[in-house]
Amino acid sequence: MSIHARTCTQAPTCKRLLVSSMALGTLLASSLVVAAEAPITIVINQSPWFPGFQSVVEKYVEETGNEVELDVNPFAGSLEKQRSAVRTEKSPFDVLIMNAGFFVEFYKGGFMQPLTDIDADFGLSPDIYTFDDSPYWDADKNLISSDSGKLYSVPVNPNIPLLHYRKDLYEENDLSLPTTWDELYANAEVLNDPPRRYGISQRGQREAFGVTYDVLPYIWSHGGAIFADQKGGDFTVTINSPETYAGMQTYLKLANDVGHPSTAGQTQTNVIQNMSTGRAAHILAVLSPGLFDDPNKSAVVKQVDYAAPPATADFPSSPPLGHWLAGVPRNIPEAEQKAALAFLSWFQTDEAQIAYAKAGSAPVSRAVLESDMADEENFRWMKAMAAAIPMAKLTFVIPEASQVLAVTELRFNQAISGELELKEALNMAASEIHQLMIDAGY
Amino acid sequence: MRSTTLWRYLTLSPTLLLFLFLTVLPLASLFVLSVHEVEWRDRIAHWDWVGMANYAHLAKDTLFTAGILNTLIFAVVAVSFQMILGFWLALLTQRVTRGQLVYRTIFLLPILVPGIIIGAIWKLMYSFDFGVVNQLLLYLGMTPQDWLGDSSLALLSVIVVDVWHWTPFCFLLLLAGLQSLPEDIYEASRLDGATGWRELRYITLPLMLPSIIVTFLFRMILAFKVFDEVYLLTGGGPGTSTEVISFTIYRRFFTEDQAGYGAAMSVATFAVIAIAIAAVSRIMGNKDPEAGV
Repeated sequence: MSIHARTCTQAPTCKRLLVSSMALGTLLASSLVVAAEAPITIVINQSPWFPGFQSVVEKYVEETGNEVELDVNPFAGSLEKQRSAVRTEKSPFDVLIMNAGFFVEFYKGGFMQPLTDIDADFGLSPDIYTFDDSPYWDADKNLISSDSGKLYSVPVNPNIPLLHYRKDLYEENDLSLPTTWDELYANAEVLNDPPRRYGISQRGQREAFGVTYDVLPYIWSHGGAIFADQKGGDFTVTINSPETYAGMQTYLKLANDVGHPSTAGQTQTNVIQNMSTGRAAHILAVLSPGLFDDPNKSAVVKQVDYAAPPATADFPSSPPLGHWLAGVPRNIPEAEQKAALAFLSWFQTDEAQIAYAKAGSAPVSRAVLESDMADEENFRWMKAMAAAIPMAKLTFVIPEASQVLAVTELRFNQAISGELELKEALNMAASEIHQLMIDAGY
Repeated sequence: MRSTTLWRYLTLSPTLLLFLFLTVLPLASLFVLSVHEVEWRDRIAHWDWVGMANYAHLAKDTLFTAGILNTLIFAVVAVSFQMILGFWLALLTQRVTRGQLVYRTIFLLPILVPGIIIGAIWKLMYSFDFGVVNQLLLYLGMTPQDWLGDSSLALLSVIVVDVWHWTPFCFLLLLAGLQSLPEDIYEASRLDGATGWRELRYITLPLMLPSIIVTFLFRMILAFKVFDEVYLLTGGGPGTSTEVISFTIYRRFFTEDQAGYGAAMSVATFAVIAIAIAAVSRIMGNKDPEAGV
């Protein structure tokens, strides 16, 4: 009865490390609990929220005696492993932790088992957010739909960007919480004091799904988009529309006037690091509250507060969903499918969700996010998260997402680095995505 | 006579078969994949014939063209510096007899460290805010530079890391070459009044040419495969400034899951690199005093 984490920290030549993460005492205690399910392996990425998930898995192992192995990988490495796993005769993984950008590829390819086909009584707890209906897939119509689709996954992390700001500096300078980009710009201008501190630090580096994710709150809240209406089936390319251009101009204005001098080279890690070291007054990033309040890792303990991403006068705050979904592949034995489902059932309980939050990750349960916990200082991010989730939207609902992202990551990065004029970059992206969609039969 | 020929073929055939199995078969399989598009439907891979369409698309692929160009620049510039520095270090140390173990170990340290760790170390050193390089510039009263985020500096920064990483490799091979040169020729030249420079120009360099060519080709082949340093330092950016071809192929093949197109890219890259290496070998081979012997 133990949990093992196989950590692959060096992509793509993945170094494997088998670590028993349970203390001997826990092992002895849990040895009294008899395992009811077959052992399972979960393939997951190394994200800022991973330690919380690992901690919850340990709790599950301790309580149930069931064995769980975690196969931990970098972002892109996890996706590649999942693809390989579902395409073999038998998947080595029983639970896939799929990212919002790529899960449709797994649904549409027929690789995932509808969870209600494993157990007809299984369902999402009413308290679990459905994140733009992403757990439901209609295989006949090839679309996401909670009305006609079957349940294919359980959300495990509400990874959406939140505005992080320095509340101590806000108090010192008598600033109000920004609700629009203009207000954010004004506040960032006041707090901008380079090189000691930048008004804002933004991710701009090209990755598998990096800069695109971080510019979408700007673009969407100006009425822009990559496609006209993905969920409605309208794939007209609008990445070079005036609205998208306006959103990107706002991003660039912040970057150029009050941002980090190396925005084009900033990764998510750099951005979070800039906040934790006190170099940034604001960041727009996914949640890692445990890090900022850890005196061993942060110079701004208890000084960071959170809010939903800013909006414009015409459009609401629009955070993109970068959430994670746990699905069960078809190509594993029935006993392992049932064991996977047992874990996913347990994960939805209030007890698990509270433990998840206490371990430093954001839960996916409304009951926990809106509970009294949100009034405690350690969980001050909960209100911002609860406010932002209902406004969050799916980034892609097509299996060609990774190819579209290859285009957008490059062109957005070129616009940020100044390698291309913004208009030229967006026009090139539009032309390339248009061709890509035609080739894919849209 | 006939039985001898047969025996030769028989004894050679296992090696030939192994060669075919390990080299030609994967390449042939890659080529077959490159003229198809692979799509997964209902858990089954469908190979759709697309002819040369994948190859036709290569010229329009920004990342492919940038990747090939940057890889060529990277390989030529980085390897040239490594050869010059490695040869210079080998010349400096070849006659040092005391403390050989110590200085050789120190010189060789960079090649013992995995590329991925080197990438991490240099990423920290190049960090705009916290890196030692910019701290040093500030200390000297100079302006900090955005080593990895500025398109005009990023490729140069990656080349510097590669030079640091691989110069010891050139040093080691060239030192071995220098130490194997016959001493009597040098003694004779000194008796004839040769100075250090003339000795280098007319004796050492011509005699070392085979070692130099082999080392250069070795390094060129390895430099064309650069991946880990770019992966960690810049991710190919900013823009396309540090995009190298192995990184492009990795992304197209695996991250974007375009197996057919990725295969076409691999075959085309293989051809470009083979031509480049053959051209370099030919140019250098013409200067090799032992060539054609």
